[in-house]
Amino acid sequence: MLKIENLTKIYKNGEIEVKALKGISFEIKKGEMVAIMGPSGSGKSTLMHLLGCLDRPTSGKYYLKGNDVAGLGDDQLADIRNNYIGFVFQQFNLLSRTSILHNVEVPLIYAGVKKNKRRKIATEMLEKVGLGHRLKHYPNEISGGQKQRVAIARALVNNPALILADEPTGNLDTKTEEEIMRVFRDLNEQGHTIILVTHEDSVAEHAQRIIYLVDGEIRRDEVIA
Amino acid sequence: MLLETIKIAIRSLWSNKMRTLLSMLGIIIGVGAVIAVIAIASGTQEQVTSRIADLGSNLITINKGTTRGYFGRLSTTAEEVFTLELGEAIEEFCPSVTRVIPKSQASGYFIMGDNNIQASVIGTTVEYQNANKYYPEKGKFFSQYDLDNASNVIVLGSELVDELYGDVNPIGSKITFYYNKHTFIFNIIGVMEEKERGITGDFNSSAYIPITTYLNMISNSRYIGSFIAQAASADEAGQAVEQIEYMLTKHFGGDEEFSLMSQDELLDTITEVTGSMKLMLSGIAAISLLVGGIGIMNIMLVSVTERTREIGIRKALGAKRRNILSQFLIESLTLSSLGGIVGVIIGWLGAFGVAQIGGWPLIISVPTVVLAFSFSLLVGVFFGIYPAIKAAKLDPVIALSYE
Repeated sequence: MLKIENLTKIYKNGEIEVKALKGISFEIKKGEMVAIMGPSGSGKSTLMHLLGCLDRPTSGKYYLKGNDVAGLGDDQLADIRNNYIGFVFQQFNLLSRTSILHNVEVPLIYAGVKKNKRRKIATEMLEKVGLGHRLKHYPNEISGGQKQRVAIARALVNNPALILADEPTGNLDTKTEEEIMRVFRDLNEQGHTIILVTHEDSVAEHAQRIIYLVDGEIRRDEVIA
Repeated sequence: MLLETIKIAIRSLWSNKMRTLLSMLGIIIGVGAVIAVIAIASGTQEQVTSRIADLGSNLITINKGTTRGYFGRLSTTAEEVFTLELGEAIEEFCPSVTRVIPKSQASGYFIMGDNNIQASVIGTTVEYQNANKYYPEKGKFFSQYDLDNASNVIVLGSELVDELYGDVNPIGSKITFYYNKHTFIFNIIGVMEEKERGITGDFNSSAYIPITTYLNMISNSRYIGSFIAQAASADEAGQAVEQIEYMLTKHFGGDEEFSLMSQDELLDTITEVTGSMKLMLSGIAAISLLVGGIGIMNIMLVSVTERTREIGIRKALGAKRRNILSQFLIESLTLSSLGGIVGVIIGWLGAFGVAQIGGWPLIISVPTVVLAFSFSLLVGVFFGIYPAIKAAKLDPVIALSYE
């Protein structure tokens, strides 16, 4: 489903070169739920950006559903993100000036889906995450847990191959964290492939496999459960 | 997709009403000023030209010529050139001329009791009334009989009566005119109506006597000052000028003794002057459109910076460069076209108000409105393109981590 080979990322800041990723390789199969862990500066954010096709590697290969995406241009990457990847961020990243229904519709707008169909799919997704009664509300009118449910609904509307969650519970309390993690597990049981980027064990323990990064290299790659 | 983008743009403009209004202000003022200026200039032009047309656009003034001074000779005005017989000859030999009216003028003092006022006496014929569309309000104008007999009668302009008589009816009394160390006494037989000041002079502060009386008493010669020739129609005025010019040149053996001025030429001059005024003023107004454009660019740049994170989110969700570009471009276009519409309305109201005060017709030409509005759209695209490109080029990773 997803395969990276010898992926590196070097940031240049004037004369100084920072090697954020020093050539890492792994494969993730369809239906897996994987946690990527590591301390700050370990390169897990960089890895997440690369896996999410938000950035390009300095060298190495990245195959997503058989597509070689490492060398694509900006607009092609935008298409890949739109078609294959659903993002869930720590900061929720909802558009504050529009209703939550419109927020969930945004990926469908860029996919060119007609308005009526868009509205129908987005409504269904919000009902699925238990927010069917809040369609017209604005992001600032709902709780953090609800915001993250909206973000999950938004990540799901394009039926992506991969859900990429970056510290999805980092801004939530313990009880809400449990709820959100249950949503992820349910999605995984329904067959969705999920990658969780986190530094919290309580989040990582929901995954079936944990990849530890230290200093831009894979320290451990272990299957739990 | 386009409709969706327009909706997003309007929503984001609506959420910042005050800022939106302020950034539109330049465009509003620019478009409004262009429309108001052109409408006001057109209105005054219409007013002036219609006044001249009222004077009779078929009138041609024949004046004595002025010779150029050279080799120590002073420039001189031809004297003793026009006679009543010459006027009759012009009327007879120029087919496009229907009438020739003699007009002589002398400036002196009218004396009434203790009051006196400096004013002109004009010697002319009965036809002077019709040619100038100028008639007595009280009493009567002098008649052909008065002309034939060089009667000692006078018709006063309305302002003269106001100054010298106030509310007293002067008809039937006598008035004294002091000119060139001589005193002349006339019987007042009429008072003229009030007439707006024309290009040929002030009607209201003059007095009118038969030309024969003028020649006998005041100038004491057989030469007259000028002629007013009336062409058969305004269209024939040009031909009439050519005919008179040809005839007088032959008559005098040169063209230095006379000069011709037609209302048509005057109209052309005025149209030219107001035209260039219009151009200049609307040019100045257009500058404020440019300034307005800079205002829009400024606000769009602020908006791009402020919404860096939003741009990052949209890109993460699959927005391509052109989606972001069109979103911001449409936003600046919406801003400038809204400004344009409000400007058109305000310009129209302004022109309407000034036209009401000035008393001239409200003339707003469709091409002006279309031009001013399209210019505001052009400004929106021109000044919106840079911020929009800047937004479209943002790196999603950097944009997403922007605080």
